[in-house]
Amino acid sequence: MTQPSNAPFSFLYQDRGGQIFLSLLLAVTLLVPILNVAVSPESALHVPSYMVSLLGKYLCFALLALSVDLIWGFAGILSLGHGAFFALGGYAMGMHLMRQIGDRGVYGDPVLPDFMVFLNWQELPWYWYGFDSFAFAAVMVLLVPGALAFLFGWFAFRSRVTGVYLSIITQAMTYALMLAFFRNDMGFGGNNGLTDFKDILGYDIQGDGTRLALFVASALALALGYGVGRFIAASRLGRVLVGVRDAESRTRFLGYRVEYYKLFVFCVSAMLAGIAGALYVPQVGIINPSEFAPANSIEIVIWVAVGGRGTLYGAVLGAILINYGKTYFTGALPEAWLYVLGSLFILVTLFLPKGLVGSLPAFSLPRKQESPQAHAGEDKPSDTPHPPSPTSEARP
Amino acid sequence: MVFRMLSVLLLMGGFLIPTVAFAAGSFEDALANLNSRKFKDKQQAITRIAESGDARALVTLEALLAGQLFTRKSDKKVLIGEKSHEVYRLTDPLTGQETGQAPSKELKKIRINNKLRGLLRGAIGGLTLLSPDPDKRLAAADAVFKARSADMVPVLEKALQREEESQIQERLARALAAIQASHNQDPAQKVIAIDQLSHYSEPDVRALLGNIAQNDESEIVRDAAQKALERVEQDLARWALLGNLFQGISLGSVLLLAAVGLAITFGVMGVINMAHGELVMLGAYTTFVVQDVIRSAAPELFEYSLFIAIPAAFIVAGSVGMLIERSVIRYLYGRPLETLLATWGLSLILQQFMRTLFGPTNQEVGTPDWMSGFVEITGGLVLTYNRIAIIVFSLFVVLLLALILRKTAFGLQMRAVTQNRPMAASMGIRTGVVDMMTFGLGAGIAGMAGVALSQIDNVSPNLGQTYIIDSFMVVVFGGVGNLWGTLVGAFSIGIVNKFLEPVSGAVLGKIIVLVAIILFIQKRPRGLFALKGRAVES
Amino acid sequence: MTNKLRALLAAGTIAGTSLITGFAQAADTIKVGVLHSLSGTMAISETTLKDAMMMMIEDQNAKGGLLGKKLEAVVVDPASNWPLFAEKARELISKDKVDVVFGCWTSVSRKSVLPVFEELNSLLFYPVQYEGEESSRNVFYTGAAPNQQAIPAVDYLMSEEGGEAKRWVLLGTDYVYPRTTNKILRAYLKAKGVAEADIMENYTPFGHSDWQTIVSDVKKFASAGKKTAVVSTINGDANVPFYKELANQGVKAEDIPVVAFSVGEEELAGLDTGPLVGHLAAWNYFMSVDTPENDAFIAQWKAFIKDDKRVTNDPMEAHYIGFKMWAQAVEQAGTTDVDAVRQAMYGQEVKNLTGGVAVMNTNHHLSKPVMVGEIQPDGQLETVWETEGVVKGDAWSDYIPESAKLTADWTYPWVCGNCEKPKFAVMAE
Repeated sequence: MTQPSNAPFSFLYQDRGGQIFLSLLLAVTLLVPILNVAVSPESALHVPSYMVSLLGKYLCFALLALSVDLIWGFAGILSLGHGAFFALGGYAMGMHLMRQIGDRGVYGDPVLPDFMVFLNWQELPWYWYGFDSFAFAAVMVLLVPGALAFLFGWFAFRSRVTGVYLSIITQAMTYALMLAFFRNDMGFGGNNGLTDFKDILGYDIQGDGTRLALFVASALALALGYGVGRFIAASRLGRVLVGVRDAESRTRFLGYRVEYYKLFVFCVSAMLAGIAGALYVPQVGIINPSEFAPANSIEIVIWVAVGGRGTLYGAVLGAILINYGKTYFTGALPEAWLYVLGSLFILVTLFLPKGLVGSLPAFSLPRKQESPQAHAGEDKPSDTPHPPSPTSEARP
Repeated sequence: MVFRMLSVLLLMGGFLIPTVAFAAGSFEDALANLNSRKFKDKQQAITRIAESGDARALVTLEALLAGQLFTRKSDKKVLIGEKSHEVYRLTDPLTGQETGQAPSKELKKIRINNKLRGLLRGAIGGLTLLSPDPDKRLAAADAVFKARSADMVPVLEKALQREEESQIQERLARALAAIQASHNQDPAQKVIAIDQLSHYSEPDVRALLGNIAQNDESEIVRDAAQKALERVEQDLARWALLGNLFQGISLGSVLLLAAVGLAITFGVMGVINMAHGELVMLGAYTTFVVQDVIRSAAPELFEYSLFIAIPAAFIVAGSVGMLIERSVIRYLYGRPLETLLATWGLSLILQQFMRTLFGPTNQEVGTPDWMSGFVEITGGLVLTYNRIAIIVFSLFVVLLLALILRKTAFGLQMRAVTQNRPMAASMGIRTGVVDMMTFGLGAGIAGMAGVALSQIDNVSPNLGQTYIIDSFMVVVFGGVGNLWGTLVGAFSIGIVNKFLEPVSGAVLGKIIVLVAIILFIQKRPRGLFALKGRAVES
Repeated sequence: MTNKLRALLAAGTIAGTSLITGFAQAADTIKVGVLHSLSGTMAISETTLKDAMMMMIEDQNAKGGLLGKKLEAVVVDPASNWPLFAEKARELISKDKVDVVFGCWTSVSRKSVLPVFEELNSLLFYPVQYEGEESSRNVFYTGAAPNQQAIPAVDYLMSEEGGEAKRWVLLGTDYVYPRTTNKILRAYLKAKGVAEADIMENYTPFGHSDWQTIVSDVKKFASAGKKTAVVSTINGDANVPFYKELANQGVKAEDIPVVAFSVGEEELAGLDTGPLVGHLAAWNYFMSVDTPENDAFIAQWKAFIKDDKRVTNDPMEAHYIGFKMWAQAVEQAGTTDVDAVRQAMYGQEVKNLTGGVAVMNTNHHLSKPVMVGEIQPDGQLETVWETEGVVKGDAWSDYIPESAKLTADWTYPWVCGNCEKPKFAVMAE
């Protein structure tokens, strides 16, 4: 199984961790709808609709974490602003859902959403055009985060902005976007954002069936995201990326146009985040600028780190566990949950430097072809202003 | 001749005696009238007290303004009460004698509103124009200027004649001109007064001139006021530009303070210290605790509380910093990005810890008198003392830090460890201790910043979160590992921000600055003052 | 390898079952959900409300509970995270099966949970002054609507006693409450003959901490020769630096009074109010009001929180009124069933802490007195003006054309939160 195979989609089941992950995901995707619909509510095994949405939300976060792992774990790009792409995807979907409300809004205006009526807007701003079509919105979900990532990456990677500098300007990006979306004059509903959605594709957004469908869609999106990620990682491109991660300058000197590789994977990652956002919005029923908050983006990185980076499913595990922890502890220990969560982050960093999955041998990738040195380098992402250690490589 | 003088004296005396008698009665009546529930009645009462010419008027009015005038519920008597611990020490305004004590339950405060407050200040101003205390005379001149009561003209003229200090003379002249410009019957006199006023480039004068320019009956007066107004406005606009610069520097100094500790922990050591903001918060809370202790133990030290808080905050935040370094961060050297994760966890814990310890609400940190208020360079340029203090303090901190880095053995060791750890270690430097001290220094400085920030911002568990992003931005913009860069970076961001703000609004201004930083980093991927050499590439 | 796998699967199963088993719980108590942020940016305001709720529930239990059952508080922490509010609301209603929820502070948190309450048909008591323009069947709004706070305050400042302000600065944080309030105020001021040029509107982001420019702008605007007043809808954290800047730049209340709608005793507790004396706030409750009910409430609060320095504020009174009304409605209905309790809520009366009686109207808003108070050196607000009698909360403002025509009335024949004509008009005829 560890041998490279030429069978189609072999990249999906080359490693054991991926196998376990995919089978678990499949099991959950099948079981949850069954337990929700077919099992009587009195039974201990029944999954209430409330849980379905919650699980759906976790899966969206998982996809988001996966998208971060794709660039951080494989290309060494630490984005502290990935929440921005997630939120943009969410806004694209939210705008579609807003347009679907039609004249059922509070003020009954057939065209303008309530907040625009309220702020005395006379007509729909141009950037809202087209969002009444689901197909258009779906394209925008990919296109807007992708375009922003392209623009941002184009400048940043070509100028060889790396390491912490890159991390901090991604943070500046999401912070600037947050401030911009907070402005009511922007036409995105300001602080309240977009809310009060009625239906999606003609189905009541609060219906149990819709919830299930969204849950399954999230699971499929996650599987798809995983497939894309694995495909990239297993391809030649992926190997170059690992090269970039471990020794960017050396890769460049070998003749690779490092910036294009980075740009490509950055855009893919942004689009995955956008999809996650788009699926997240109908399930939680609100999108607002706080999703752009830098703290949110930092948290995403933490999910990945806790789960273990460079594996994709590690990120998924991290996202689901931490979010489940949040759900559980904010209810069970409302006054002390930050202590629990904070200590968890510290303990994981100290004692499980490779994250949860990295600490389980069953999950480590059989990357025998890589040199041990490259492995060592994994924990030292290149461009940080830390005193160089004797083992650090890649001095030009 | 002698007879005439005598008769005049007699006449005057005869005139005076009944007045005093009448005034005395009027003072007592008016005092009782303060009891009324209606603000209108109180207003009349205040006017009568002020006009009574009674020696007791001033004390009474001052007590009323300070909220120290009470009605005793039992006998409806108006009394002055000074709070001492749980009870009020009472004085009878009529006799000036102490009349025992009462708990707050037995007293009812005589309430005033803004209108009465303005009236009171004017009245007190009139009564203190001739006071021997120059500060009081100055305050009186301004109060009379605001009240603009025509009755004040004779007193003002007298005061102006007597006055010897030029600053107070100027204020008195301003008040007189203002009253003449508003109340004189003769338009020509008004125009002269307006011309005098036009030399005062102050917002208050601008307001007065604007009012006259719109509302005066005489066209000549309106025109004169209009011209004067233009002149004042020109002056004010020029000063506003300087004011903007000051505000920019002030914002820059706040950013600098918030970032300078990070310039050590992040810039020098490479620890992505997400708990930096919380170290600043610790400093702010230390200030609160220091002031709290001082308030209860030694109130006379309050004016110096910040000077006690600065070293205390340095020690508290520094020790916490060293503790963090020893228990967490030292295991993470070589994995700097992971310090992000651990310090984020720490920041959550510290926030919640302060919430548990002090409660979630804001804590009150007082401003010592020497730091409150402002200095008027001219009326158009107002520099607040607390901002000046913070600017000075921020420069002092940077200077101190530069000295430590450049001139001390510890600084030398620190730089050695930063530049080449194994070499430093082999030269006998205990790198572990140096690491601990360096992180402690960065944390301690963050704590000192907290003392300054407690003067202008909330002292709450969220304090740190407000500044963390800005701090990183400043350090990265200036160039990681470069103190000079942090300094220049902070001030340029501050000044640019403040010049954008009036044009674009606060939010858009901030967005523009952020985008500008992003673009700037493309041009200079290592910040304003990049470290040169191979070390940075690693 | 298989061991690890098994361990992981086991862990997953445990996590899964613990989620599921959480749902099965017996209902021998009446459960009251408390949905206030205990961490994050809003903890500063909301934690107090959580404590106030705990105090009142404890008090009710000491009196024997309700319908012979004990009350049980279910406290969760939505962590100032708006989507988490929705999730927690759903958890409270679906999983914990609470009978009523007291919670939320910001408008966006209310908007976030609103669909959940409507879908699951539960009740939310919302205790904070807000922008109006809403009337949900599942929410009772115990805070002030704009006509119970903003308009009376402006009336006061325009009056002779308040200083006859002619020029207005509307300062706010950029979100829906200030935007709405200022929109209403602008329309109102224009109706009162204030010219466009005499109104300045300015919005700042949340947590804005550098007020130098804006305060100097205000001073500049005020120096145009007309009496100027500032109406502040600045939110939460930004207030302390704002007032510190006002104090330092020497903006005196006699010259430029600032009236605030989001600043109460709690916010002032973090400030040295000496230089701010005379600036104003408009609320439905002040701690300084001298009534036996208020004295008792303050004493109870101080004893409960074990801190003699803690203050009470308007949203606490709103919760006090809301909780009392709900308890009365439950007693009257003889059940905690949502529909029955809702019916019983209409016309329910509770004595205000400041005197007079609050009444729940059929538009789910209260009738309450409005007061304007001035800041005192000790951090208290003292009433300088109050309405005669109570003012009825108006869900839809009369000063916004598109909402002036809407009516909120949840009783027959309207049964509607935003209609132009009764829903059951035909049947009514």
